[in-house]
Amino acid sequence: MTDDVMRFFATWLFTHEAADEEIKAAIRRGMSGGPEGMSGGPDAFVDGLAAMVEEEKEKLKADLAARARGEEVASEESADPALDEIRFEVAELRGRLDTMESLLETILRKVGG
Amino acid sequence: MASRSVVITGVIVGQLVGQLPAARFGLAPAHVRRAAWARGLRRSFERLGPAFIKLGQLISVRPDEFSAELVAEMQRMQDAVPPLPAEAIRAVIRSEFAAEPEDLFETFDNKPLAAASIAQVHRATLASPYRPVWGEVLPAGAEVVVKVVRPGAAESILGDVAIVRRLAERMAGTRLARRFDPVGLVDEFSSTVDRELDLRQEGRFADRFAFDFRDDARVQAPRIVWTRSTGKVLTMEFITGWRLSDLEIAREAGVDCKGLAIHGATAFMRQVFVYGRYHADLHPANIFVTPDNTIAYLDFGIVGYLTPEERMNITQVMAALIYRDPDRALRYSEKLGVHVPPEHVEPVRRGLGALLDGDVRPDGTRDFAHFGLGFLKLLGEHGVAIPSGYGLLIKSLATVEGVARALYPEIDIVETAQPFTTRILARAMGDPVRLRERMPAAVRAALRELVV
Ligand SMILES: Nc1ncnc2c1ncn2[C@@H]1O[C@H](COP(=O)(O)OP(=O)(O)O)[C@@H](O)[C@H]1O
Repeated sequence: MTDDVMRFFATWLFTHEAADEEIKAAIRRGMSGGPEGMSGGPDAFVDGLAAMVEEEKEKLKADLAARARGEEVASEESADPALDEIRFEVAELRGRLDTMESLLETILRKVGG
Repeated sequence: MASRSVVITGVIVGQLVGQLPAARFGLAPAHVRRAAWARGLRRSFERLGPAFIKLGQLISVRPDEFSAELVAEMQRMQDAVPPLPAEAIRAVIRSEFAAEPEDLFETFDNKPLAAASIAQVHRATLASPYRPVWGEVLPAGAEVVVKVVRPGAAESILGDVAIVRRLAERMAGTRLARRFDPVGLVDEFSSTVDRELDLRQEGRFADRFAFDFRDDARVQAPRIVWTRSTGKVLTMEFITGWRLSDLEIAREAGVDCKGLAIHGATAFMRQVFVYGRYHADLHPANIFVTPDNTIAYLDFGIVGYLTPEERMNITQVMAALIYRDPDRALRYSEKLGVHVPPEHVEPVRRGLGALLDGDVRPDGTRDFAHFGLGFLKLLGEHGVAIPSGYGLLIKSLATVEGVARALYPEIDIVETAQPFTTRILARAMGDPVRLRERMPAAVRAALRELVV
């Protein structure tokens, strides 16, 4: 989700790369960080955010270039978080079944012995 | 149970009377008197056993409700008790599994690894491989620890909780109760204890934690062996490493303490801001650094939960801390349930501003503990009730700071929160309706608009 937003901004920035001098200045300020980094108040925060979007944009550019060359793009987003979540839930169920199975064995031992 | 309440009263009164000379029979200055009472209470709690030790731990995380002397004293409380003989622990295992420990494990060590008021821990090795919920298979012969609830712990705790509850109900009508809600505290306490008495909860959280940090090779939690676990027995991977209290040895062994401090604090921020589930029982004995430069979290007995909305508001409070903006901090604290009565808003705002300006150490890094605990105290002084989750989180952040500083004194933990707060605020801006409205403006202006 978050990455989608960053991607969105990055795309926008990519298509407007030449457009906005003020943005470029913000990115430069954000990259250099200034004495207080992003903690210097709302302006410094926005500069920092602009720098983060810029990084994302560079990644996007590299991805697009790689795709154009027909390469596989190993992007972070390729792993589907929802699918991972389901895998975990299934694994967790397996854990519970393990406990139940061992409980069953315990009961069998109790009635058997 | 009547006799137990007599014992409880007896121990507490006895200890408090024992402190009378130190309090100079009530003639000493107030803080000396309070310190003496606090010491007496702490000693009674240690004597009275598990339920009271847990109660004391709960008091130690509520500087908003109790005096500084009492909080400090309760933080000092020892949860180390003489170990039970192995036979008593083996008896629990036998009754849970209808089998001898040697039938369940390849080996079982009768010498305990650790003994606390609720549980005792023994080492063992697995007889057959086990595939855990998350992570690599544990091979046969793998070293594990078996955590066993002490026999009778559950019964004695539940009995004591009932007694403490009756006491709290009686206190509810008194003057003391205006400063805090005794019944609420006991309810919170009894739900914490319930959770700790069923070790499966702890195991599930450890699994969840391992999953949440699946992409981070430097953070680990012990893998749980569910075929050898019940409510009273939890078997998990043995973690080789050093407690934070044995840091010198770790350093000599070449562990990168600075890197781990930053990584560990970041991992905690991730728990709070990204997952809304966090390890709320951090103390130096529950965190290991390992020879291969990872951080291992042990003992998931107390876990804090945050809803997405709470997370968003906490993010805003954190951002306010980063900007040093008291109005913003108060605005979003209000949404988290911190209701400052109108006539107190101005003094609280001023006090908060002073805290925000004064939270810098000589080395220029921010001091979160000073800020967070000071804020809780400030609210307490103005009669503001503090939602328990809020107090727990602040206390946990302060602890993370303390732990991280033990590893690397110059760390600034507010700094480690920054990437998360930034990203979360960015996500809030990603609401499509707002985006479409505002994107025509330049990105910088749009970001600016949406952040504030
Ligand atoms: N998985 C583990 N690997 C190595 N040591 C462990 C492990 N679990 C617990 N211990 C040791 O046992 C001690 C007590 O365990 P803990 O889970 O904190 O119990 P309690 O909740 O009763 O305090 C820990 O401080 C640690 O030294």
